[in-house]
Amino acid sequence: MTEERTFEDAQRELERIVGELEGGRASLEDALALWERGDELYRFCLGKLDSAEGKTEELGRRVEEARP
Amino acid sequence: MKVEHELQGDRKVYTVSAFNRGVASWLTRLPTVWVEGEVTEFRRQARWQSVFFTMKDPHDGSCLRVSMPRGGFDALRLELADGMTVHVFGRPELFGARGDFSLRALSIEPLGLGAVLAQLEQRKRKLAAEGLFAAARKRPLPLFPRRIGLLTGNEAAAKRDFVTAVAARFPAARILVSQTYVQGPRAAPALVTALSDLAGEDAIDVIVLARGGGSFEDLLPFSDERLVRAVADSPVPIVSAVGHEQDTPLCDLAADARASTPTAAARLVVPDEGELRERLSSLRGRLERAPRLLVERKRAGLESLAGRLRALSHQSTLSRGYAIVRTESGIVRTASELAAGERVDVELAQGGFGARVEETRP
Repeated sequence: MTEERTFEDAQRELERIVGELEGGRASLEDALALWERGDELYRFCLGKLDSAEGKTEELGRRVEEARP
Repeated sequence: MKVEHELQGDRKVYTVSAFNRGVASWLTRLPTVWVEGEVTEFRRQARWQSVFFTMKDPHDGSCLRVSMPRGGFDALRLELADGMTVHVFGRPELFGARGDFSLRALSIEPLGLGAVLAQLEQRKRKLAAEGLFAAARKRPLPLFPRRIGLLTGNEAAAKRDFVTAVAARFPAARILVSQTYVQGPRAAPALVTALSDLAGEDAIDVIVLARGGGSFEDLLPFSDERLVRAVADSPVPIVSAVGHEQDTPLCDLAADARASTPTAAARLVVPDEGELRERLSSLRGRLERAPRLLVERKRAGLESLAGRLRALSHQSTLSRGYAIVRTESGIVRTASELAAGERVDVELAQGGFGARVEETRP
């Protein structure tokens, strides 16, 4: 596991931000910052989906050498 | 039986053949006994007179070759498979031509299913008591694994089913496949090694242990204590997809999640890309609408305040036709404050005028 942002975390934060904006409690000043953050998260998630490339690899035959 | 030898000087020398025959004949004097061990390398071919396998001692790995005439073996109607524990009734024999020592079987009995089940049940209770199957140990699976480890056998079906199902749901998934033994006595240690190798690979966020259906004996390695412990201790969450719905190998209980088939496992480890995109685009739509919604909401709040403010101001009262009468001492509320001939000032919604009081009424 690395510290890099995961798709899940980004999507979860995006959901929270949308909920907060829709809740209408944020001040207009905060709302602008929230919106920009939400937009960035959306682009990040979409980018993850678009850039991910499917691949099936085989782990080397090393395990074949394992003997009881 | 007389074994011929040659005298060379004062030395008795036997040919290999004569030696083997001699030992073989001596061995026939040993009693017929029961021997217990695990079947490995079982071989049976129609053109062979006998079937062969090696019986292994599970404790120290000692091996003993076993042969049995094919006719007698077939009459037992046994489904012998590698890894099964059997009792063999037979006597030692030396096959002259090769000098091979073996146990010539007269009868073979698989160790009763009952005994194996009792062993499993005992193991299950022991591991459960240690807390290996506790719900609190189960970790959530990642929604979007960077890479999926698939540990499976060399048979194609489980791997194909899983890879196909994953690709259909989430074409961008990355899968690292490790294939090893999933049946027989080598399976459990090989699976343990493969599992730890796979968990050590870069960016593996979840591991799927997949094996198609099989007989009760085929699936026994997946209840092996070594494997069950390795599954419970794995640093990476594990999905167990072993056998069919009705099978519950112990590794299912130790895994973080279990799936009834490799296809079902695919649904657990990758999201549906279509749904994911739909959800994202709905979030995007809500994000787009949110600012206007917010501004409208703030404006509505402001207007309602302004309305209340207006309702409170005297201007709106004046505009309904009321007037304010003042004297030098302030607003007049009762007629007794006034005297006839007194000067008053009257304010209207628009403009005002000065006047004198003609008369007052109480």
